Amino acid sequence: MQTNGKHRLRDVKFLTESTYILQMDRNGLEFEAGQHILLGADGDLNQREYSIYSGNNEEFLEVLIKEVDDGDVSIKLKDIQPGNYLQVEGPLGFFSLDEKLIPNHKFLFVSSGTGISPFHCMVKSHPELDYTLLHGVRYGKEGYESHHYDKNRYIKCTSGDQTGDFAGRVTDYLLKHPIDKSTICYFCGNFKMIREAMDILDKKGIPHNQLHAEVYF
Amino acid sequence: MNKQKTVAFKTLGCRLNLYETDALASEFAKKDYRVVDFNEKADLYVINTCTVTNQSDQKSRREINVAHRTNQEGITIVTGCMATNYKEQLGKNEAVDYVVDNDHKTSVLSVAEAHFNGELVDVNNFEANLFSYAPADETFHTRSLIKIQDGCDNFCTFCIIPKVRGRATSRPPEEIFENIRQVVGFGYKEIVLTGVNLGRYTYEGYDFEKLVEEILDIPGDFRVRISSIEPDGYTDSFFRLFNHPKLTPHLHICLQSGSEEILLKMRRMYTAYFFKKMAHQLKTLHPGFNLTTDVIVGFPEETEAHFQETMATIEEIGFGHIHTFKYSVRKGTRAERMPEQIRGNVKTERSEAVRKLADDMKLAYRKSFVGKTQRVLVEKLMPDGSASGFGEHYIPVLIQDSGLKTNTFYEVHIHNIIDLEEPVLAGKVKSSTEEFAKFNVKNV
Repeated sequence: MQTNGKHRLRDVKFLTESTYILQMDRNGLEFEAGQHILLGADGDLNQREYSIYSGNNEEFLEVLIKEVDDGDVSIKLKDIQPGNYLQVEGPLGFFSLDEKLIPNHKFLFVSSGTGISPFHCMVKSHPELDYTLLHGVRYGKEGYESHHYDKNRYIKCTSGDQTGDFAGRVTDYLLKHPIDKSTICYFCGNFKMIREAMDILDKKGIPHNQLHAEVYF
Repeated sequence: MNKQKTVAFKTLGCRLNLYETDALASEFAKKDYRVVDFNEKADLYVINTCTVTNQSDQKSRREINVAHRTNQEGITIVTGCMATNYKEQLGKNEAVDYVVDNDHKTSVLSVAEAHFNGELVDVNNFEANLFSYAPADETFHTRSLIKIQDGCDNFCTFCIIPKVRGRATSRPPEEIFENIRQVVGFGYKEIVLTGVNLGRYTYEGYDFEKLVEEILDIPGDFRVRISSIEPDGYTDSFFRLFNHPKLTPHLHICLQSGSEEILLKMRRMYTAYFFKKMAHQLKTLHPGFNLTTDVIVGFPEETEAHFQETMATIEEIGFGHIHTFKYSVRKGTRAERMPEQIRGNVKTERSEAVRKLADDMKLAYRKSFVGKTQRVLVEKLMPDGSASGFGEHYIPVLIQDSGLKTNTFYEVHIHNIIDLEEPVLAGKVKSSTEEFAKFNVKNV
């Protein structure tokens, strides 16, 4: 079911000074893990695309938001108080898992910053997934609920300190580690990371039809 | 007795708009309006606008002014994507009487009728329906356009269409089949499936491939053309549908850029590598297939190296026609917020380079038809007795014979290629013995 309506804000949870989770009523919204919504303050014409963070088996809807200094939407959303309403349109997009492949394939999720959001949704929605999640952040504190993932499957790559599981960017990690050629790979985050990571996996022989990207700008 | 009212239409932009104008014109004609040329004085002007580029906006505004100048006593209804995108501004324009957004476009006749009956008209009070156009028995075209889908969820970073056409919505298959049966019954020989993003067609178990497959099974002497599609999600089995004699061997698949980086920044959901592979697959399965495309030059941050990648991709694939767009900022899109917008003169240079390459390719491709046969649907009869139309590959053909009829198929042997406004195939009906030297045309 698509929605084009108002969803009541339940909670705002800050993960860092500038990154927060908005939890709202789901209102029966059905979606595929990995899809996004258009979100804005109720009555505001400005909306932005945000990947759905919560699992599709949860009774609420969550998005993970990084405040942008000169952003038209993220700053306003941060100040909305629980009980007030958000304008939601969607779900949208085609960045989702082929469920037929889940039982017998390995999945590699490569993310940077809040680009972890659709993978959080995928992992929550499909607990049976055989996945490895690379999360690129500057500092270890930007792990964004890393305890939600199986610690043997989650690799935090930190480029600004040594507190992660791997010191360096996700692309450094990919260069240094073998990847099985049958792995289905998903990328979400900033353009530069995705471009470099796809290039590395292409050179490692992963077929193009196994590479799926969702770019955040 | 009331004087018969006159209505004039102007359509800008895509085939979907053409379809919608055709349907509206047919509805007006059935209500005893006389459809007149847009340059004539009319009681009512309907302008179906486009907003895909700045140029489209300018053209749309120009046509509004033309209507206003031609008859200031007439009423002007502005509809379409520009009307949806600039509803408030257009509402303040004294040359515009009514602004009808895309959701309410099917109500244009009702708006006009209410106006002429002296009622106070609020466009929003009319039903919003994307597909409730009656099948058009008489249109401005020989081909009958069939709307199967509207809207797009792809959200490419340069594109305003999701904002003005809304979310992807598919028309029920039974309505489509019935629409096709009706227009085939009216005598149309070619139907063109139109929509914003055809490949995303989905309705209760039907996807685009299954829909096309069943359309091809509808009885009758007609052929089916697919208008512009996006490159994602097609399989071998879809391409094999082109073995069916009713499905014309032509697809307009939008490349937009041949640079992997730029495609990613455009948020296109395919790679240049994938596009090349798909094109190769299509041309291998169907030699001579006419693959045409759109290319955007001067997208933000497009370097000379990116552009050269696009040129190389175009050369490698080989297109029958390329529609080149100079990127223009669309307010509210992600690309609007991207740094490093490209200067106008650079866009012009790149556009010119693509155009030149495209012209060379088009000529070479069309020359490959000399000595072959095309099944031409005649659209127009010329004063000198010749006729023009399009072959199954969607290439214009001049038939250098006489006594031909419009809206009729002819098997035409292609003798030559001639330079009119573009390279046009020239030939004679296979059984004809007319001398084709009598036609005063310049050989290429």
